[in-house]
Amino acid sequence: MTISKAVPNDAPILEVRNVVMHYRTEKGDVSAIENVSFSLKSGESFGLVGESGCGKTSMAMALLQLQAENATFKGGEIVLNGEDMLKMTPAEVRSHRWSDISMVFQGAMNAWNPVHRVGAQIKEAMDLHIRPQLSHTESRERIASLFEMVGLDPEMMDRYPHEFSGGMRQRAIIAMALSCDPQIIIADEPTTALDVIVQDQILTELKKIQHDLGMSIIYISHDIAVIAEVTDRMGVMYAGKMVETGPTIEVFHNPKHPYAFLLLSSTPSITGPRRKLAPLEGEPPNLLDPPPGCRFHPRCPFVTDQCRTEEPPLAEIGGGHQVACWNWESVPPLSEGLRK
Amino acid sequence: MTDVQAPASTRPLIKVEGLEKLFPIGSSRFRAPDAYVHAVDGIDFEIAPGESLGLVGESGCGKSTTGRMLVRLMEPTAGSILLQDGEEMLDIAAIEKRDMLRFRRRVQMIFQDPFESLNPRRTVYDTVAEPLTVQRVGSVLEREMRVAKLLDLVGLSPADTFMFRYPHELSGGQRQRVAIARALVLDPSFVVADEPTSMLDVSIRISIMDLMLSLAEEFGVSYLYITHDLAVARYMCDRIAVMYLGKIVEITDTEELLANPLHPYTKALLSAVPVPDPAYKRPDVLIKGGIAKAINPPPVCRFVDRCPMATDFCRTHDHPDLEDKGNRHFVACHLVESSAG
Repeated sequence: MTISKAVPNDAPILEVRNVVMHYRTEKGDVSAIENVSFSLKSGESFGLVGESGCGKTSMAMALLQLQAENATFKGGEIVLNGEDMLKMTPAEVRSHRWSDISMVFQGAMNAWNPVHRVGAQIKEAMDLHIRPQLSHTESRERIASLFEMVGLDPEMMDRYPHEFSGGMRQRAIIAMALSCDPQIIIADEPTTALDVIVQDQILTELKKIQHDLGMSIIYISHDIAVIAEVTDRMGVMYAGKMVETGPTIEVFHNPKHPYAFLLLSSTPSITGPRRKLAPLEGEPPNLLDPPPGCRFHPRCPFVTDQCRTEEPPLAEIGGGHQVACWNWESVPPLSEGLRK
Repeated sequence: MTDVQAPASTRPLIKVEGLEKLFPIGSSRFRAPDAYVHAVDGIDFEIAPGESLGLVGESGCGKSTTGRMLVRLMEPTAGSILLQDGEEMLDIAAIEKRDMLRFRRRVQMIFQDPFESLNPRRTVYDTVAEPLTVQRVGSVLEREMRVAKLLDLVGLSPADTFMFRYPHELSGGQRQRVAIARALVLDPSFVVADEPTSMLDVSIRISIMDLMLSLAEEFGVSYLYITHDLAVARYMCDRIAVMYLGKIVEITDTEELLANPLHPYTKALLSAVPVPDPAYKRPDVLIKGGIAKAINPPPVCRFVDRCPMATDFCRTHDHPDLEDKGNRHFVACHLVESSAG
């Protein structure tokens, strides 16, 4: 089972450097990912948050080289264990996919083939990606132990998807993502369609598995409360750009990009004092024709002339906390909120 | 059971008693059903004028079915829904089809998905003006002015730039604003809102919720606000009712519910809600699994199989009634002691 994955502990196992990806459409190029960089260390969990259309799912697809056919990379590198995935042939990518880096897709629990047993579908993934192939008995033993790990009865492997509840199907998807012993799992909205109690159980199990196996996880979610609970570091995306990144606790307690600040100010919570929340005015830009300068400037309460023309770089402000904003120093502490 | 849930001083706008909806399973024209799903199983609640009541619970607990019965998009199996109508109470559940028109002026609904609830072939004006046309309110000119006023109120201004657009030209947030304008154009006294913000992005969500709150104040509308998200319910609602498998298990003022949940299910639900603060440690969730359908359920407490505190008493006695435990805090649990009050 153990394919040698000798990686020095502190070096990043995945590094995304200045990736630019556009979608070609009839109306022109959609700039879906613009100069995004981040890295992932072994055993670490990293969260990507943002609203629909901000590029977080495009980023996930790019990491697995599963992007749509009309996507083109205009630059950058995605370095997995020292190799640039953007320079690999499709066959080389396939040898890494699933065995080094696997994924729990958004809504994947509805992607099971209804006419095959769940265990058989997991075995298919293992047969395709584990070399040398496992024998029939070895595969079944492995699936049984994976099922136990995700909190399913091993006997369920011989059942059909319709016999599973939503939460159980999602657990089985996680078992499948773990089946080839990957170093990295990308979990794209892994619990979005589930009720809170089931969500709690699945997130708890993912955290435990990550800890036990020393795996790295990239969580992608629109729900910043989920990101707060499960990640060590995080990045906030807006309109295809990474606008803020850093240790999760630092970004939540001390957001310095106006978008991150407003996103956190406009998230209701069941804890803390009941307060009036500050709405974020306007709508995200059309990426066929993104605004010049900072992409957030049309909605930003801290906007200056510089923002309208010059694009702010993602710059370090201390402690691994990076912000792409010219005026980050004018963003008040979160507790004070936004006064007009 | 029938008394004091809304503030005692005011008469309730809506008073629901013994409301029930059973769905038959396996029936056909020549065959009696094998069993019934008890989607809503005898619930009682009241809503005061201008109040907004949150109805929360996991998927399949019967909250949307309840909402649909209140606007008569679904026929109740049993029970009454009384709507204050001048000095009298009108029973919504008993209105004949031909008398429905008058009732629809008073009660409207906002749906979850603004992409599906608007007709793609009709302009914003057509959509918002339709209730006025159906109800034969005013002249064409008056209707146009009313629609323009509503569009301004919901933040689609200037109204004439939006009036003749089609839904595909609008964003999700703008579509939901159109749906809100349509629901309020007849000046109803009661609106059922079924997850109106769950399809929207976080940044748009607050502005829609703020809009609904300010319109409630302006028009004096009461909401039944259906949601699975307790944080949203807290922001929107004066009181919250928690549903579990067709039963209301707890109903009280929002802050009281959050600070002092009494039913074991409410406690579990609250401890499972993720909190947007990495430093916050939630209590452990004491229950497991998701909910099943209530198919011919035994008459005992619905929550007994998942309840971490269940006793033999719970397994042998009927489902507990909602009882006031003090401070208008109603709970349906055998194990909760009444506090003084």
